Amino acid sequence: MEINSFKGSRILLVEDEESLAVGLEYNLTDEGYIVDWAKDGRAAIKKINSNEYDLILLDIMLPYLNGFEITEKVRLKSPQMPILILTARTSAEDKIKGLEYGADDYLTKPFHLKELLLRIKGMLKRKTWYNHSTGQQRKYFFGNNEVDFENFKCKSGTKTFLLTQREAMLLKYLLDNKGKIVTRKELLANVWQISGEVETRTVDIFISRLRKYFEPDPNKPVYIKSIRSSGYLLNDQNEIQ
Amino acid sequence: MFTVRKKNHSPIFLITVFVFAQLAWMGLLGLWIHWYVTNYLIFVKVGEKLAPQMVIDSPNVVIFVGGILLIVGIATIMSLIFRNLTVQMKLTRLYDNFIANITHELKSPLSSLQLYLDTFRTKEISYEKKQEFLKLMLKDAYRLNKLIDSILEISRLEQKRIAHDYHVHRADDIIRKIIDNSIERFRLPKSVVKITGKAEFDCLIDKEAIQIVFDNLTDNAIKYSSNSVEIEVNLSANPKNIIIEFSDIGIGIASRDQKKIFNKFQRLENRLMPSVKGTGLGLYRVRQIIKYHKGKISVFSEGENKGTSFRIELPVYKPTRKKYLESLSGRNKNKTVLADGN
Repeated sequence: MEINSFKGSRILLVEDEESLAVGLEYNLTDEGYIVDWAKDGRAAIKKINSNEYDLILLDIMLPYLNGFEITEKVRLKSPQMPILILTARTSAEDKIKGLEYGADDYLTKPFHLKELLLRIKGMLKRKTWYNHSTGQQRKYFFGNNEVDFENFKCKSGTKTFLLTQREAMLLKYLLDNKGKIVTRKELLANVWQISGEVETRTVDIFISRLRKYFEPDPNKPVYIKSIRSSGYLLNDQNEIQ
Repeated sequence: MFTVRKKNHSPIFLITVFVFAQLAWMGLLGLWIHWYVTNYLIFVKVGEKLAPQMVIDSPNVVIFVGGILLIVGIATIMSLIFRNLTVQMKLTRLYDNFIANITHELKSPLSSLQLYLDTFRTKEISYEKKQEFLKLMLKDAYRLNKLIDSILEISRLEQKRIAHDYHVHRADDIIRKIIDNSIERFRLPKSVVKITGKAEFDCLIDKEAIQIVFDNLTDNAIKYSSNSVEIEVNLSANPKNIIIEFSDIGIGIASRDQKKIFNKFQRLENRLMPSVKGTGLGLYRVRQIIKYHKGKISVFSEGENKGTSFRIELPVYKPTRKKYLESLSGRNKNKTVLADGN
């Protein structure tokens, strides 16, 4: 059996369905994670404000504050916090909304336990990736944009903002492969650590988020270009290192 | 899986289209009058030239009025079509919400069941944990069953195919018993529910159906209370009706929404209590059941955060009222029991 190198990571489980929460808590604890359970939106915010977590597993339909509102609040405080939305709401609109609010991943109920655990592990790989990336090159420049991968701080012209962990990972992967076409499947496998057969649209939503940050006109991208039926290409013509 | 997003026209767009359509018809009406008046003058002039012996005394009223009636008729038909379309759109929106809510309600227990089955398949679990998980699985299965039953019953209620099991009960005793059952079902402390008043008359009811009514009201009182739950039930009666007033101290209902709450698929968003789960069928089902008992239900709330009161009126049972009994049993050909249920 594979040893879980992320044992001891703290996960906040936000779920109001008692039956599901008990099962999730058992399985996550069994994997070696330390689990804290919040039954509603208010309790979740209270816990987030008073504790440190490595990942948040979040339902959408919650009493008092829904999952979208929680994501928004978390992003203001901690842009790098990995958030996995786990919900019975399956519509494309909800999924896009969740990812746009800043969630890193979205899994619909009912789900396979193995898939959920793999996704959680994939998200927790951030630390390894983070150490690896900062060990190589910390700051990247392209066009008018500046990205600091140590603290995810970015500058685009006069604008400054913070990237989420997943956005940073995606941008870093594109920068490491600049000038090459990167397929959606490749991005899912390397950035999301999940099989490429699963919803490649997630990648498109994150790419559109990056374009909003860095492109002068997100509808006519000059840096992150779409390559028809292939994937994406980060154009290095404007890059000034 | 992503689905294609439906194009929804906003009400403002539809109203604009309607206003423009009406303007078009009014323009057409004006043109018709203008054309008629102009041509009438030409007819008169040409008539005088060609056949001076013919005298046209008055304009042709039949053609003139007929044209106006035709145009007004078309405009009226258009208004009716527009009204029906608006109603249809509202229903479609409610139905879409219902599908989203019911999917959520079905998938929640289903995902819990799948999680436990996955856990049993992949992990070594202690006996105690197994028992705990099995208990939760049974609870989920019961929840699924209850939900499916409620959907099926709505359809049966609407098609008048439901088999009610009517019995004569002492109102005071049976209502208190039913409320006690609801307290037990929702695991509420007894002190939370206060029953006052008396209703010393007999009533003819289907105990199981009325249990559904009070379970729904109790469930709503719990779901829509932001702090503690407090329920007060007041029983009273007059020679015609048994009156049950069921009040909570929850978040209340805005007066504009009070009319809507018994509508089918209706879900109200409340900023004090967002994301409350439900299907939008509960109170609709409650109203249908009360209707079957020849009773009435109404709601009252002074507004947000001021609690909600439901008033249920059920007819007093009188053995001489044969017609009343027959009307109930006539709806209930499959199952008619009219014995004393106490």
